[in-house]
Amino acid sequence: MATADAVAKVPRRMPLALRLAWRDWRSGELRLLLGAIVVAVASVTAISLFVDRLQSALIEQSATFLAADRVLSGSTPAPVELRDRATNLGLQQAETVTFATMLYTGEDKNLLASVKAVSEAYPLRGVLRVSAEPFGPDTVSSDLPLPGEVWLDPRLFPALALELGDTVEIGFKQLRVSGILTREPDRGGSFTDLAPRALMRINDLAATKIIQPGSRVSFRYLLRGDEGDLESAYEALAEGERSRYRWLGARDSSAAIGNALERAESFLLLGGLLAVLLAGVAVALAAHRYARRHFDHVGVLKTLGATPRVILQNFLGVLMLVGALGVLFGLLVGNLLQQLVLLYVNDLIPGELPSAGLRPYLLGAVTGFICLFSFALPPLLALRHISPMRVIRRDLVEGDLAGMLTYGSALVGTIVLLLWYSGSVVLTLYTLGAVSAVVILFAAAAWLALSGTGALGMQAGSFWRLALAGIKRRSRASIAQMLIFGLAIMLLLILVLVRTSLLSEWREQLPDDVPNHFVMNVTPDEVESVRVKLERISDRVGELFPMIRGRIVGVNGMTTDEWSAQLGNLFDNDIDNERNLTYSDQMPGENVVTQGEWWAQGTAEKLISLEDDYAIRHGLSIGDQLEIDIAGAVVSGRVSNFRRVDWDSMRPNFFVIFSPAMLEGMPTTFMTSFHLPREEQRELNGFMRQFPTVSVIPMEDIIEQVQDIVDRVTQAIELVLALVLVSGCLVLLASIQSSRDERLAEHGLLRALGATRSLIAGSLSVEFLTLGALSGLLAVAGAELAVALLQVQVFELTPRLHGWYWLFTPLAGALLVLAVGLAGSRSLIASPPMRVLRNLD
Amino acid sequence: MVSASNVAKKVQTAAGSLTILQNVNIAIAAGESLAVVGASGSGKTTLLGILAGLDLPSSGDVALAGESLTHLDEEARALLRGRLVGFVFQNFQLLGSLTAAENVMLPIELRGDGDALHRAEELLARVGLSERGHHYPRQLSGGEQQRVAIARAFACRPQVLFADEPTGNLDTATGERITELLFELNADYGTTLVLVTHDSRLAKRCTRSITIDTGQIVAETLHASMSDDDSAGSDRPAGSEL
Repeated sequence: MATADAVAKVPRRMPLALRLAWRDWRSGELRLLLGAIVVAVASVTAISLFVDRLQSALIEQSATFLAADRVLSGSTPAPVELRDRATNLGLQQAETVTFATMLYTGEDKNLLASVKAVSEAYPLRGVLRVSAEPFGPDTVSSDLPLPGEVWLDPRLFPALALELGDTVEIGFKQLRVSGILTREPDRGGSFTDLAPRALMRINDLAATKIIQPGSRVSFRYLLRGDEGDLESAYEALAEGERSRYRWLGARDSSAAIGNALERAESFLLLGGLLAVLLAGVAVALAAHRYARRHFDHVGVLKTLGATPRVILQNFLGVLMLVGALGVLFGLLVGNLLQQLVLLYVNDLIPGELPSAGLRPYLLGAVTGFICLFSFALPPLLALRHISPMRVIRRDLVEGDLAGMLTYGSALVGTIVLLLWYSGSVVLTLYTLGAVSAVVILFAAAAWLALSGTGALGMQAGSFWRLALAGIKRRSRASIAQMLIFGLAIMLLLILVLVRTSLLSEWREQLPDDVPNHFVMNVTPDEVESVRVKLERISDRVGELFPMIRGRIVGVNGMTTDEWSAQLGNLFDNDIDNERNLTYSDQMPGENVVTQGEWWAQGTAEKLISLEDDYAIRHGLSIGDQLEIDIAGAVVSGRVSNFRRVDWDSMRPNFFVIFSPAMLEGMPTTFMTSFHLPREEQRELNGFMRQFPTVSVIPMEDIIEQVQDIVDRVTQAIELVLALVLVSGCLVLLASIQSSRDERLAEHGLLRALGATRSLIAGSLSVEFLTLGALSGLLAVAGAELAVALLQVQVFELTPRLHGWYWLFTPLAGALLVLAVGLAGSRSLIASPPMRVLRNLD
Repeated sequence: MVSASNVAKKVQTAAGSLTILQNVNIAIAAGESLAVVGASGSGKTTLLGILAGLDLPSSGDVALAGESLTHLDEEARALLRGRLVGFVFQNFQLLGSLTAAENVMLPIELRGDGDALHRAEELLARVGLSERGHHYPRQLSGGEQQRVAIARAFACRPQVLFADEPTGNLDTATGERITELLFELNADYGTTLVLVTHDSRLAKRCTRSITIDTGQIVAETLHASMSDDDSAGSDRPAGSEL
């Protein structure tokens, strides 16, 4: 029997919800909702997967600054527990021992060098670079000095009058100079490692007899392997052991890299947020359409005896089912999408991207359900209140679908997602603030714009009139569509504008002539001649700062240990680390006082200025009395102000600055920075020969790495942008779908009354163009507002207007909405009027 | 079976309070058939909705099978409807996403009764649509759709059947066939029938009719029971076009 055959396709024992879902699916009712969820989950998963993998790549990249994934650093060799655990876990291991010592040559020349003795596997990340002649072009080397050999910093060659093949003495060991070391991955940007490098094998170390109890030596144990294994290796250390070492990850390797990575992360996440918002809008639109199409359905079910609870259970069941399916497909599509993107950008991103963890999938799945429940649930919840009277009284109009509940729940869902994604209350608040301000402004502006179209329409040709009349007739829907289109375009625009200003900020921070060398150990009587010489070889020489090594030993009468203990270990207890200190009457150029006041010129008071993060980290406040040990002499002074320091500036920066009165009579050396193009670095030979005791530290590696990260992040952002654009287009499609029934009715009627297909297509085009252009105009205004807020509050930049976007955006908006709109309504235009009318009941 | 005492319905409009029904008193015995007639806007559809528990009166009381509806919430009224009431509507109100058979199965499923498919097949056969069960409403003519709706209305063997202009959207001949079917099933199942109609011929088929004007009962007429030969033509071959 035909009936039996047909219905048998519905498995009999399915619960009602499942059967409803199945029937809705079969009749196409659920496809839009499912599609929207798939889009939501897929875009989030794809972005997150991609960002996750890119982040791993960035971390891996910056791991080269450590020459490893993790480093255990301390003043004694790594404990045997760690070594054993690392071996058991199969981690790659290497070891370095760094110390400062005098290098002697046969001609009784000597110079302080920083010697690094390394084991065979060094480096675990990154590469060594060597050159054939001092300050000549360098190439990657996969070798290490052989036992009995040493590679030297180019600066040592002129200073010690050395040539390749000569011998130098390190302690009691004679080593043959076999290479010129230009770069090593973990050289770092810290000033603790001032002297030029000598690289030797760890096996030769014993013979030097330099390492004695009490000598200042830095032991670093390098590890490379899986994240989990690395942490597990660290867990092998007892609590007490851990405090004797520092456990370093890629992010700790350099403040500049850390900052760059953090910004990259929050920036990519911003992209992710936009995709989520767009997806949420798509889900909400689809759910509203689904709910609207079920008014009669619910009315009939109620007359047949379905209670509000049964209605609720059924629609919840349907929602869960759609959610589960949507998430599943979304994850699959997201993964595919991400792979496609990787395939496409293969040559943009050098090297293999590490595979992603489970987090992106979790993120996608949870996002899918949060989206579903916050955006789709309210209209479906409202269905249970549909009056059964609706079935016999067609004039009963259901009001707003859940009204406030819809917006409230969407808002809560959005906030939860924003917070979860950004992990930043500030970013969340500003994004939300900008979006809600823009929604209100948009609605008002859209309403005004629509009022204006009346006059325009009367003067225009007939399909203009038709289109504009249509927009006005559906003014609520048109305002909503302009809001959605406008928001989507605005979000994209924010991303573009923020990206642009972020990049230009980075570029401004790292201009071509950013200082790329530091000069240290300049004695007071050399200051003038060093300045003159530097100004001859470099077009950009910084100020010469006095520099003294010292450490804080007391705070307000307490020892630093007592002070740290009193803070309850909440803060880092490295307050007594030895640091570079300076004194000055004037505040360094790029510093900004955040608390207190800079001292008066020539003050006789002993005053101290602290970097603000440093002060906060150690619980210090203005007025605190600090004692500082400088080469055995203890001086004390009062904290008079906090400064914000721009650590990315690549100029000499100080945590602690004294008023000159404090350091009177202390022995001091001077430091500065200057820029020297790579091709002119041979000039350094002469400088080094003239000032053999002055240390010159090249900073290029760090700068280049930061720029590399910026480049990669730029590419990543372009990709995220493309994904957001796709979600944006899908939102447009969803919103066209949501007005589909009404349009079908209208067009059917028009066609029946003799309107040609081209009139309808023309009026649709005008409608989309108008909506798109107005949306674009609103979008650019909103984006300017949001970007200005973001720039001031988050990125700390001066906001400015983006002139030509005001022209370009409405045009692009019009074309985009036209293209997507016509694609989405092709079947509307093509439908024969008869079919259209029959579909209307 | 169905009773209304002092029922009034008022709604708030922009222009102020509007009285749709007032002082309505009705008692309908089990197995009786009652036609509610009146001009458009007289309040007859509102009365039907209130009697069936789809809506509540502003004042007065309505009881269904001895149970007062006015004190029940929507949840309880829905359960009562599911147990006691069937509906036939002027615009059929079949769910477009369900096939004819599935539409008939729906109330049975909602009640949680087993073997919904078998019962739906029986009923579709009874209304002459055994071959059309897998068709969607849009693939059926108006008369066929109303036959599916009648099958659905009887699916749970309701004690009371409410019909709102059941022939209002159909041509005269098709309307008559639907009327026949409705009364035939009504007799078979011993159902109480309350119908709202404009059609005086349909009203005369009922045992009694009341006339509503501006929300009040203005007349009540008792009709002689129709003889069996008036229902000629109801035995048309199954599946034929109505």
